Amino acid sequence: MANLISRAFGGLNEVRRGLATVFKHTFREPITKNYPDEMPDLAPHFRGRLALTVNPETGDHLCISCKQCERVCPDKCIEITSHKSPETNKLELIDFKIDHGLCMFCGLCTEVCPTLCIINTNDFEMADYSRESLIYDLKKLTLSQDESAFYFDRKEMPLPKPKPAKPAPAAAGAAPAAVAAKPAAVPSVAAPGADAKPETEAPEAKAPADSKTVEVKKPEVKAEVKEESKPEAKPEAKAETKTDEPKADEPKADEPKA
Amino acid sequence: MFSNGDEIFKISRLTIVWLAGIFTIVWMVCWALGIALPMLLTQQLGDKAALTNEILRAATPVIAILVFIPINAMFMVLIERRALALWTVRKGPNRVGPDGNFQTAADAVKLLLKEDITPTGADAVMHTFAPILFFAPSVFGAVPLLAAVTNNHPLFRVLNLPTGIFFVLAAGALPVVALVMAGWASNNKYSLVGGLRSAAQAISYEIPLVLSLITVCLMAGTLDLVKITEQQAGGILNWNLLGGGALTGLNNALAGGGAKALATSYFMGPISYVCAGLLVISLIISFWLYLTGACAEINRIPFDLPEAESELVSGYNTEYSGMKFAIFFLAEFTNLFIVSSITTVMFLGGGDNPIPPYILNNIPGIPQMVAAIRDSYFCSTLHIINPETFFATLWVIAKVYGLVIFAVLIRGTLPRFRIDQLMAFGWKRLIPLSLIVFIIVVFAREFVICHG
Amino acid sequence: MATEIQEIDLKTDEMIINMGPQHPATHGVLRLLLTLDGETVKHVEPVLGHLHRAQEWQGQNRTWFQYQALIDRVDYLSGMFTSWAMARSCEQIDGTVVPPRAEYLRVMVSEMNRITSHLLWLGTYLIDLGAMFGFPFYPFREREKLFDLFEEIAGQRMMFNYIRIGGVLRDPKPEWFDKLKRFLDEFPDRIDEYETIVTQNPIFLKRTKGVGILTQAVAKDYGVTGPCIRSSGIPLDLRRTKPYSVYPELKFDVITFDKEGDTWDRYMARILEMRQSIEIIRQCIDKLPSGDIMGKKQMAGMRIKAGEGFAAVESPRGILGCYVISGGGEKALRFRWRNPSFCNLSVLHELLKGCPLSDIMAIFGSIDVILPDVDR
Repeated sequence: MANLISRAFGGLNEVRRGLATVFKHTFREPITKNYPDEMPDLAPHFRGRLALTVNPETGDHLCISCKQCERVCPDKCIEITSHKSPETNKLELIDFKIDHGLCMFCGLCTEVCPTLCIINTNDFEMADYSRESLIYDLKKLTLSQDESAFYFDRKEMPLPKPKPAKPAPAAAGAAPAAVAAKPAAVPSVAAPGADAKPETEAPEAKAPADSKTVEVKKPEVKAEVKEESKPEAKPEAKAETKTDEPKADEPKADEPKA
Repeated sequence: MFSNGDEIFKISRLTIVWLAGIFTIVWMVCWALGIALPMLLTQQLGDKAALTNEILRAATPVIAILVFIPINAMFMVLIERRALALWTVRKGPNRVGPDGNFQTAADAVKLLLKEDITPTGADAVMHTFAPILFFAPSVFGAVPLLAAVTNNHPLFRVLNLPTGIFFVLAAGALPVVALVMAGWASNNKYSLVGGLRSAAQAISYEIPLVLSLITVCLMAGTLDLVKITEQQAGGILNWNLLGGGALTGLNNALAGGGAKALATSYFMGPISYVCAGLLVISLIISFWLYLTGACAEINRIPFDLPEAESELVSGYNTEYSGMKFAIFFLAEFTNLFIVSSITTVMFLGGGDNPIPPYILNNIPGIPQMVAAIRDSYFCSTLHIINPETFFATLWVIAKVYGLVIFAVLIRGTLPRFRIDQLMAFGWKRLIPLSLIVFIIVVFAREFVICHG
Repeated sequence: MATEIQEIDLKTDEMIINMGPQHPATHGVLRLLLTLDGETVKHVEPVLGHLHRAQEWQGQNRTWFQYQALIDRVDYLSGMFTSWAMARSCEQIDGTVVPPRAEYLRVMVSEMNRITSHLLWLGTYLIDLGAMFGFPFYPFREREKLFDLFEEIAGQRMMFNYIRIGGVLRDPKPEWFDKLKRFLDEFPDRIDEYETIVTQNPIFLKRTKGVGILTQAVAKDYGVTGPCIRSSGIPLDLRRTKPYSVYPELKFDVITFDKEGDTWDRYMARILEMRQSIEIIRQCIDKLPSGDIMGKKQMAGMRIKAGEGFAAVESPRGILGCYVISGGGEKALRFRWRNPSFCNLSVLHELLKGCPLSDIMAIFGSIDVILPDVDR
């Protein structure tokens, strides 16, 4: 009998302690957020909607239509249309389609992209009324210059070298000639300087692009070619301006953040 | 410690807005039907209006209840959701209207517009009548409570019964039939199990519930709810919760009676004091027994087996949707409110102020305030309200909704019993305990002067 | 006397009930075919396969690099462990040396994942027992904090794809460790709070004590692993019995109970494991060496040498094994998963025999089954 009473009181006391603990939560701040009013602050590497970046400084599209992402995608949700430009003998991007209804946001495409063009943005609000509208085309996917700068900065990605006015949009004029030549044009346009350049260039390029990708070289070579073709005269001086460039880039990239 | 001031402020604002709204509306309806209209008719028609006035006065309380139940259920759902959100460190519904005030109104509209489905093979007639039979007792069962909770206001005196608590309990036993009907008619095995469970549970828990109330009636010597309330007037020491009048002697002594008052009440000396102590303990146990039994009666969480979600999907109301489900939902919350009201009337002194008058009247300002209200235009001329009813109603609201919030807190903490454990708990623990309490009270009250 | 009357008067019929796959408490899409006598379970038959996604077949038709991203979905509550099992079996074939920093990071993140998995179990288990509204939100609150940390290093909250063949994906920043330490400091208090509400609650004790007793013999027969078998008194913890990674360097004991485990013991085992995981993570933070985090280059055309390998890890639900045959190409020749949930589920009909209907969820919840892990 005494045992029964003590057990009853013990049980009631436990229930009281439980109730008190729950009641204590009255004075704790809610952990939920008023979502559409206040956005959650997501981690920089959050794998959200896929997007294509442009060069934050020049606005050139970074995609080189290498189709690595298309190949690696486990869901086969990426579709790239490109053609070989007859003038330059180089792949030109025509359309880039991602079916976000299929995408599972694994982020593999962003890992293999050699130019850091395709990225996962922090945007996750993609609800739409039809499946067709979940298929994003090139125009919808490409970020603006400011947005690209923001993501390059946020994800701490090495900035791409400025390209000549070349790939998809305004491909015309003097540039194609220089580009088409690529390896061949180097000796022809600026024979003395060009040989020296890649050697000084290569270590610099590798330093920022550490674990991610090592494939940032291609656009650089073009960049050299273009810049050399204009001033033409002093290779030595140019080498100096070149070395300054990546350093100058970084503070610039910080500006939009601040 | 108090980092959640913002949310607490919002939820209290919401409560005040809703309560003020509900009771203003209900009171305006009552006043218009029961006081203003008869006054007007008498002025215009003279004696010819006497019959009409009688009918109007009789109809007033029923109409008041019919107006009150839906809006009150809406408020209770809202406050339950907000309170649970508070205790689960969330925010709760705060989108529809300011502070989420109209969330449940929107829900109600949604429920009413939903398609009403009768499953294949179901007994359509019973399926339709079950929610009605479930809801009806909570309407007419609440009627005798009205006079008790409004300090015997003339408008509601009509509906007071000499056997009030008996009527309420009889009405409260009816919904079980509806639940079995719903379970059977749904043509669903889960519903059937839920309905049968509810029958078993309600029958078992009716006994301790009624025994605990009988204890109170024994102390009071009457079944009349108004009389039980009136007996408890005069401060917390007079309430049935604390001995049902066993402490009245102490109260009188404190009020100025001194040792003489003590000697009158506790005429047997030490034996009386011991008995008074026993009575206090017994009545507190009775109070707990009643709360437990009531939780089981209305299927609140530690005893919500008929609709146990993790076992029976949703129990007896699995196959209900739309309007019929809305009625089930409405009745459940109304039942919670009625049970809290019965507790308030039977144990917590109804509309009585917990602070005894001999303390309250010595606080400067309070008597003057009451007098000022009484003499104001609203009370003296228009008879919109009289201060006694006003304050009684305030206390009733505080007590009833306090109990409701406590039920919500329990809902937020405790897991659910298993059906055999529930039965064992009811039959092996609660019923013997309530019988022991009953017997103690029978004998102990002979040695103390109590209410009855 | 009483039984005679029953036999004469009450003619009862057995009732067959389909519990699931759309039942609110069957943790997804399990279908239990119950034969009931009144409310007593006569027989139960789990019907599986509603969530079959051919995970093994997919492994044979995806490159190694692609399949890494998919295996988090095998057991979505403990993605780190599935990744780890696959990575270890592939490293075994390939002979890849995983840098020590990566090993420590792996232990850290997977112990964090163990905590999140147990927290979710705790919340849903209380829902199974009927505490629907208050308590289940508290474990989820702490779980969200850990998910924020996962999001920073892996990019997503549940589908991490963080542990890779040869190492881990990303080196966390110093601030990440600060956040983690702050979480670890406050988390024991939270567990105390859970225990205040639940552990000694009389209703909870009534529902769990002496219910669903798993004897050692039955547990061994059915290949039950994880907290379930440890609470039955068999100290089978792969982290100690067959140590892998850097677990030998860390100090912790296998949690076992002396007697045959009931539902309450399984609950307690998980609570204690959470506390243990906190200590393991603390030790990892202290011992974390500097250095490289990846021992194999991650690229689309990654290849594994020809051969076969099997590796198992101690997941929150038990032993999670991965068997791989590689032909030396970009894709595997054969994948085979040993899933703890599947093996633990097989013991269900032994536990449920003769128990009341309400206990189905109390027992089924306590063995912590994740349906995608069962069906793959």
